[in-house]
Amino acid sequence: MRRVNPVGALLAAAAVLALTPAPTLAQTAGPAAWQNDLTPITAKDWNRDLAAHLLERAGFGGTPAEIDALAKMTPAQAIARLVRYEGTDISHLLPFDESGIHDPGLEPFPPSRPAVTDLAKKNGEALGIKVKPTGNRRLQPVVDEFFYWLRASVLETNRVAYWWANRMLTSPRPLQEKMALFWHGHYAVNEPKVRDYRKLLAELQLYENHGTGNFRDLMVAMAEDPGMLTFLDAGVNVKGAPNENFAREIMEMFTMGVGHYSEKDIREAARAFTGWNYVDLKFVVNKDQHDDGVKTFLGKTGNFDGVQVIDIIMQQPVTADYIAGKLYRFFVRQDLSPELQKKLGAVLRDSHYEISPLLEAIFLSRDFYSPASVGTQIKSPVELAVSTYKKLGLITIPGAPDFNNATAALGQRLFSPPTVAGWAGGRSWITPGLLLERGNFARDVLFPDINFVAPDRVAASEEVRRVADRIRQGMDITKATIPDTKSGEMAESNMSADRDEDFNTRYGSFRGSQLALERVKPIPRDTAQVHLAKMVLAEKPKTTTQVVDYLIRRFMRVPPSDDVRRELVAFLDHELGTSDISAASTYLEEPLRLVLHLIMSQPEYQLS
Amino acid sequence: MKLNRRDVLRTGITGLSMAASTALRVGVFGRAAAALAADAESNGKILVVLELSGGNDGLNTLVPYGDDAYYKHRPKIGLAKKSVRPIDEHFGFNRGMVGFERLYKDGKLAIVHGCGYDNPSFSHFSSMAYWHTAAPNSGEQYGWVGRLADTIAPEAPPNFLVNIDSHQSLAVRSRRHVPVVFDDPNKFTRDSFFDETAVLKSTPDAGKVSNPSRQFLLDTARSAKDASTLVQEAWSKYHSPVDYGIVGLDLPKVAALIEAGMPTRLYYTAYRNNAFDTHVFQNDVHQRLLTYASDALTAFLQDLKRIGRADDVVVMAFSEFGRRVPENVSLGTDHGSANLMFVAGNKVKGGQYGVPPSLTKLDEGDNLIHTTDFRRVYASMISGWLGHQDTSELLNGTFQPFPMFG
Repeated sequence: MRRVNPVGALLAAAAVLALTPAPTLAQTAGPAAWQNDLTPITAKDWNRDLAAHLLERAGFGGTPAEIDALAKMTPAQAIARLVRYEGTDISHLLPFDESGIHDPGLEPFPPSRPAVTDLAKKNGEALGIKVKPTGNRRLQPVVDEFFYWLRASVLETNRVAYWWANRMLTSPRPLQEKMALFWHGHYAVNEPKVRDYRKLLAELQLYENHGTGNFRDLMVAMAEDPGMLTFLDAGVNVKGAPNENFAREIMEMFTMGVGHYSEKDIREAARAFTGWNYVDLKFVVNKDQHDDGVKTFLGKTGNFDGVQVIDIIMQQPVTADYIAGKLYRFFVRQDLSPELQKKLGAVLRDSHYEISPLLEAIFLSRDFYSPASVGTQIKSPVELAVSTYKKLGLITIPGAPDFNNATAALGQRLFSPPTVAGWAGGRSWITPGLLLERGNFARDVLFPDINFVAPDRVAASEEVRRVADRIRQGMDITKATIPDTKSGEMAESNMSADRDEDFNTRYGSFRGSQLALERVKPIPRDTAQVHLAKMVLAEKPKTTTQVVDYLIRRFMRVPPSDDVRRELVAFLDHELGTSDISAASTYLEEPLRLVLHLIMSQPEYQLS
Repeated sequence: MKLNRRDVLRTGITGLSMAASTALRVGVFGRAAAALAADAESNGKILVVLELSGGNDGLNTLVPYGDDAYYKHRPKIGLAKKSVRPIDEHFGFNRGMVGFERLYKDGKLAIVHGCGYDNPSFSHFSSMAYWHTAAPNSGEQYGWVGRLADTIAPEAPPNFLVNIDSHQSLAVRSRRHVPVVFDDPNKFTRDSFFDETAVLKSTPDAGKVSNPSRQFLLDTARSAKDASTLVQEAWSKYHSPVDYGIVGLDLPKVAALIEAGMPTRLYYTAYRNNAFDTHVFQNDVHQRLLTYASDALTAFLQDLKRIGRADDVVVMAFSEFGRRVPENVSLGTDHGSANLMFVAGNKVKGGQYGVPPSLTKLDEGDNLIHTTDFRRVYASMISGWLGHQDTSELLNGTFQPFPMFG
């Protein structure tokens, strides 16, 4: 049963009278017969809508001017401009501005707090900090340093994410950043496991420098990458006792997909990777831990090392199919026929795993512009945020709302994919809760919260805040760190969390946070510089209908239903007190932001 | 004239000003009726599924301390007899699991041994998908909880199926139901300014839509509108004195919805992000994970007692696989096969079900050979608990339920 909304109904009724017939707001696609057809489109097929579609997918959408520029080229030129970006100058983009927070002695960083304190007890020092010779809580400075680095790495990683998001927004090579995002999701290394922003930054730079290059080379580079080696526990994979995690994920997640190798292949491959490790930020092979015996892997026998194992994987036809299919799903659409996947795999094989020819083939194909592909992709949270900012004409990522917290609330935090499978993408981006949250994000951009608190300048948790307050009140450490429990029984975990003998974990967590906050540079917290009135008036609209249609065209790839459009016009009429824009031109900004918030809250706004 | 609710019922409703609220009320009553019809089929009982993602190490959860083979396989990470919490002369819980020990001794916890399936997958994602769909080595696209909802409530009343997580689980994917999926109840709301409310609340019918992604978004938007107010109200009214521990999982949220009388019969939650994937230095972290899970689950049952619904709710916990029997060189364990399942609740006949797998006769990869098809436990939930007797169509095969409800 449909709910009757009296206000909405009245508004809608009033609007019908004033409304001119709806123009076609839908973006055009090619004919349905183009689906699955890899034939390149021609210059006579090309138009502004297809150029806009290309920029949505090969980048993060565009302003009208950016779309016009591509529309004026031939499709081949437009695609070459995006894919063959090496000639496009980006020297104006600044390198990451390091806070300088990594202390000598932190490497190798132990896997847990107990591992650190055990080490300190054994050696009299850990993390470059000596144990106090006498007195209470002799290990406390070591524990403080442990928590300092945990927190500092998180904060600095958030700054790296900001730096990257700004590149997505402003780089004249949008595909370079989009490909980096693809590889980041593909390799899915995350900060909570790696706990070292430096390794994640190095990976991002690898994705940016080799993202459209050779996949085999990228795979080898990733297999030797300290971030990856940490992430998949490769450092503990040694001769005589291979750890399978790394070998399994290389095959299952990074190259072939499940079902194309046996458990024995995994064990043999794991042997080939034994001894692969890193020292700080450098890849090393520990020869005495490497098993150089004979292995039988995917039907081949030899005393393979890891690189040779990767080369054997690259010889498998399924590898090219798997990567091509994954790229296609990322850039085009989720459902992909096995035939089409094989064709795309053949393109990748023929180019010896060079990525850019495959991307060109995809972006030029009729299939890419068919109705099955156009306007059917659900934007990832990062794409949603960056493309929203782009279409608003912003030139920096706003500091409020916080980019990382906003996208995390929508299900995607950069440098924190949930599992080694990365983000599932597609429809998994949307749940009832997340759909509402997407509208809330738009509101936070258009109407910044006046009570916004910078998340990198406050305690990371309620517990740290509580301890900090009590310490400042002059309480002793033991009292200050007693957990706050509700009445009734205390859970076992709260009883045993802190023994408060040689050190106090909760105090360390507080002190570490405090040190990190001192040393990590703050993220600028400017709000979005939005000028909707100026943007809209430049189009010289006469009526509210024209304004709503302009906003729909500028911000949406798939327009809402006519009913919704009528409601939007009626709403704007109501807010302005007129449907005549010339009468309302001096007070447009806030009503326009409200309308745009409503547009961005529509289900269709999520489509690319 | 001032009407109270009884006046309205007695005199009937006249006057234009009441029209809107009548429409609303009929809507709500209509839904309630559909939910009641579904009640009849599912006997009002509630099932909560708790996924322990990452592959929980069952052997260090319920430790077979009476078996020398256990210590031979695990010379370094094996948990000593004196450190476990014995429940009989053979098994003892990990010492972090005070809550589970108590539940077991109170007869409210069923342990099912050796759960698995033929040709086990050692991939988190494949194996989890098999457990999600109850269809190992197949491409089934709907989840078993989703299919269960389709079967016992084919009318698909709103809010029948709730999945609390950051993303929707395959387990709840359903042909007819749009599961209510949310993470933070405080954020499960549309923030709007006063003037915008009317437009944001209207649900114009877009008609038949040819773009399937758009159709999906429109359906989701409708489900969001149905559920968000209810969930938010439930959460804001929920003030429990029970301590769920450090992590709590999402069980307090489930308790809040149950307390508020949501018509939900099936809840799906997870200990998220592959937390139990303990390849290295596992003992400290594993014990901690178990403590959190044990605290949360025990607290949840206690909370249900406070709410007065303890007899109506059962929790079933599982992991996508167990771990390799021998420890690895990094003081951890690799992906394995058969594992324990747990069923807890006031109406559960506590004890041990199924046959513990042998620690000496392992498969060629040093894994436990499963003794219980995990779908037998699903069948026990479907028939024994929810009262839907014919499980063979739903589970694509005949699986003998355990008599674990009394």
